[in-house]
Amino acid sequence: MPKRKDIKKILIIGSGPIIIGQACEFDYSGAQACKALRSEGYEVVLVNSNPATIMTDPELAHRTYIEPLTKEYLEEIIAREKPDALLPTVGGQTALNLAVELSESGILEKYKVEMIGASLRAIKVAEDRLWFKDACRKIGLEVPASALVNNANDALRLCDQLGFPLVIRPSFTLGGTGGSIAYNKEEFGEAIAHALDMSPVHEALVEESVLGWKEYELEVMRDFRDNFVVICTIENFDPMGVHTGDSITVAPAQTLTDKEFQRMRDAAAAIIREVGVETGGSNVQFAVNPENGRMVVIEMNPRVSRSSALASKATGFPIAKIAARLAVGMSLDEIPNDITKKTPACFEPTIDYVVVKIPSGSSRSFPAPTARSELR
Amino acid sequence: MAGQELAGRVSCTKPYGWDKGSVEVAISPWSEQMGESDAEAETRKHRVVAYDYGIKQNILRLLVDHNCEVYVVPAQTSAEDVLEMKPDGVFLSNGPGDPEPVTYAVQNIQKLLGRVPIFGICLGHQLCGLALGGKTFKLKFGHHGSNHPVKNLLTEQVEITAQNHGFCVDPDSLPSREVEITHVNLNDGTNEGMRHKSKALFSVQYHPEASPGPHDSHYCSPSSRT
Repeated sequence: MPKRKDIKKILIIGSGPIIIGQACEFDYSGAQACKALRSEGYEVVLVNSNPATIMTDPELAHRTYIEPLTKEYLEEIIAREKPDALLPTVGGQTALNLAVELSESGILEKYKVEMIGASLRAIKVAEDRLWFKDACRKIGLEVPASALVNNANDALRLCDQLGFPLVIRPSFTLGGTGGSIAYNKEEFGEAIAHALDMSPVHEALVEESVLGWKEYELEVMRDFRDNFVVICTIENFDPMGVHTGDSITVAPAQTLTDKEFQRMRDAAAAIIREVGVETGGSNVQFAVNPENGRMVVIEMNPRVSRSSALASKATGFPIAKIAARLAVGMSLDEIPNDITKKTPACFEPTIDYVVVKIPSGSSRSFPAPTARSELR
Repeated sequence: MAGQELAGRVSCTKPYGWDKGSVEVAISPWSEQMGESDAEAETRKHRVVAYDYGIKQNILRLLVDHNCEVYVVPAQTSAEDVLEMKPDGVFLSNGPGDPEPVTYAVQNIQKLLGRVPIFGICLGHQLCGLALGGKTFKLKFGHHGSNHPVKNLLTEQVEITAQNHGFCVDPDSLPSREVEITHVNLNDGTNEGMRHKSKALFSVQYHPEASPGPHDSHYCSPSSRT
């Protein structure tokens, strides 16, 4: 099916300031999406609070607003621009959270703005750890054992059931902020108090530890025709317990047999379908126990993620650009491959080289290293 | 490679039964979606005679998974001998070399067509093409690897497939009144699958059994198609 004609003006939410959790990768993805939608003939309106980005260059969008990324400012911009659609999946978690707020407060409905790229339901299922776990279990996939708590007493009772170490993850925070790992009851008490404090909904997930397991990410895409492709596999050199942003990562995955990889591929396809990401890119994370091969699903991001930028660079497959085109109703087999120009984008890049990402930073500014789930 | 008949050289010398299914490394979400459990619900097994032109074991495993009782026979087995085994379906395997010199197989397929459902893969697909009056040709580089996008023209969906072939069926050479093209390679537009419009024959050029490769095409099976 060719691109949609019923929408003309599309609002893109940028990623905001470049800090941990809202990295410059999302400037890259947002800029790609602007270019792609412009070249398809759509009028692009961009909102970003950070003027020091490529995407806010005047020639990228038809109209660029440099305003705080809050519901109030967004409503004013929507009222003024009257866009037909909102693309929230190329500006990282900030954009996605804001889109959820706009949708739930009725602003999108009021101004008849359609959310494209991901539905409110898909975002909620993917973002809510418990809903997501339920969705995975429903399709027969394993997830780490866990429970959700909103007070310290309930949390302490869980320790006996699950054993240490335990992972504590506050709900709805960026880059794992407020998350930690506890090895004993004392640490656990502190960690829970901190996590509940950090969570905007005063809620945290206590989870079986998969510390030391092998960590994988699959960058996948799906179109409205249900075509599914894996763009890139990424293996973290550092095991589970070291945040992906801090890890040395290698593309493609290095230590999976074909059988293990195909099982992971099947699982990723089943997840993106169950969560209901109808078009666009997603990032699905898995952990594999090196002792026995047990595979558990860790999480999925129903949007262009930090790893998408690496995957795009590693494979030459421009994920954000293609995701933007999929969001306006094109299918993967209609979009030309960016490199060959002749073959379609509906394929799985196979690379005969490895791409390694090594994070750099001043180690002097950190105290003695400990394993954390929070990006530092 | 052109002109070389290699299938007969790699085929088994004696017929044998096969009863091993695939070994699941763990749960496959795919098998639930594709409704494989339906096949298990049927009690009577489909008797399949598989021509061995160089067969891959995972094909046999998947046939067993699809509730088939499988007998493998040498490439040169006559159509009469196969029919005597009273099969519910005949499977034509993959194999090496040029399909054109494998004339005995083409003749056998022509005799079997219409009398028993036929399902072919890879070389088996090319032999079907020849048996239906089509032509085959050698590709410049061949298709190798596990990332070939193939469009299923019946569902409009794309499968990422495993492929390993140097020859190809020319779709224009097939009698269009009898044969329908069902699958096309998106990279170069070459033929990847076809079916007979009135008789039970279905074949694909790629390797739906994967191993190695994606499981997108596992839906291809004699029980689901014929």
